[in-house]
Amino acid sequence: MKNILTIVIRLTLSCILAGTVMGTTYVFTSNAKKHNEHVNEQKVMLSLLGYTKDKPAPDSMAMHEVYRYVVTEGDVLSLGYLVPEQGHVFTFVTIDLNGTFLATMPVDISHDLVIDDNERAKAITTALGAGKSLRYADKTIVVTDNGQRMAYLLPGAFPGFKTFISVMLALDPSFTILGLEIMEHEEDPGLGGEIVQDYFKNQFKGKPFAVLKKLKVAKTPIPAEYLKALEAKKSGMTAADVATIQEQYKDKDIYALTGATISSRSVTNGAKAIVKKFAYRISILDGVLKEQQIAVPF
Amino acid sequence: MANEKSNFQLVTNGILNENPIFRLVLSMCPAVGISTTMMNGLMLGIAVLFVQVFSSVTISLFKNVIHPRIRIPTYTLAIATWVTVIDLVLAAYLPEAYAQMGIFVKLIVAFAIITMRLEMFACKESVNDSFWDGIGMGLGFMCGMMAIGFVRELLGLGTLMGFDILGFKPLLFFVLPCAGFFVVGLMMAFFNYIEIAYKKTKQA
Repeated sequence: MKNILTIVIRLTLSCILAGTVMGTTYVFTSNAKKHNEHVNEQKVMLSLLGYTKDKPAPDSMAMHEVYRYVVTEGDVLSLGYLVPEQGHVFTFVTIDLNGTFLATMPVDISHDLVIDDNERAKAITTALGAGKSLRYADKTIVVTDNGQRMAYLLPGAFPGFKTFISVMLALDPSFTILGLEIMEHEEDPGLGGEIVQDYFKNQFKGKPFAVLKKLKVAKTPIPAEYLKALEAKKSGMTAADVATIQEQYKDKDIYALTGATISSRSVTNGAKAIVKKFAYRISILDGVLKEQQIAVPF
Repeated sequence: MANEKSNFQLVTNGILNENPIFRLVLSMCPAVGISTTMMNGLMLGIAVLFVQVFSSVTISLFKNVIHPRIRIPTYTLAIATWVTVIDLVLAAYLPEAYAQMGIFVKLIVAFAIITMRLEMFACKESVNDSFWDGIGMGLGFMCGMMAIGFVRELLGLGTLMGFDILGFKPLLFFVLPCAGFFVVGLMMAFFNYIEIAYKKTKQA
């Protein structure tokens, strides 16, 4: 009995000690980590749109973030979108599950604070009033050039082989994939970890929405010319040639990674699900915004 | 026995006499699964080196207060703590390195080699010895992984550290997980053969 007690006490103490060490490190590093992630996210967004350091984005381009929330009132669920409105104000639009408009309310928050998850949730809760609870779902970035929509950026996550894979997808206004980037994953290096390689993720580039809806994973080797085009950075293929080959292969399925069919399949299905759901949601949101004459900048 | 060894001997012991992969036959899962390229071997090796050294020193420091019946959970806790700390620090201050190393660091918690080294060595020996033994084991693991990666990458992909050496892919089979078993087995046989041959010449 005494033995058990000492074991319990010592194990508890060890856990507390370990927890303290981990917690302290977390406190000291979380800001820097968040900052790095934010910087990386910005870089990935621009590179997905085809802009690099040497070829910066034009000033006419603007990014507008739309945050989606699930609002619960008693047993009733509805969706809420926080959209920016012209004249630097934010509006929270709620839509019920059938896609009909419910209400709109102004949200008092500045452009700097809206990035912060907690501040944003606080401001929306205040605007909603009592009795309603809020759950953050996801965000979408609508990219405009001179006020015309040029792309959508969709951050998303889905289960991979081991744990969640988080990605960023870029779509053009007709939902053709402009690019896919893996933001974070814990797949096995050398196997599922290969999803970050150009020859896998570039396969998604240029897949039209109609093809994507039926996209599957093919367990055949990648044809040599396609591989060269996918790894254009390595093989030095010209952009024009890459575009021709991509056009040829745009109806084809995704070629699976050797030894990592599950990871290949989960990325394919994940991307498919994200785009399909988004296409449905944005059509409803657009309908509501137009009907209610909410002047969004996109 | 280990007490009489100098620091240098402790390090070389980890690389040669008690090489984690070829002699102790520990941590075979990563040796087979991840050693598809030399770069992967190097990355995982560096990650293991740090976690092994930190955990060895920690356990050696606390060896007198760890209850013998709960030592394995305590080891796991120590390893997990260091893995988390290294993961967070890398992510915060060395984002470039984290992009490369991140997935390797997170794999480490369940590595047999680290737990076994804590059990066999660090919980009995002094902090100084544990530190050098940790370095030896980490380096031994790194060398083993890179040696396997060398064979598999060269024969499977025709490259070394990502650079094209052969210009073609001899046998893609070597990159597949099952080939890991063959390569590890054959290399183990090779090293055993060298050892036997060496002992014979010594006796003669």
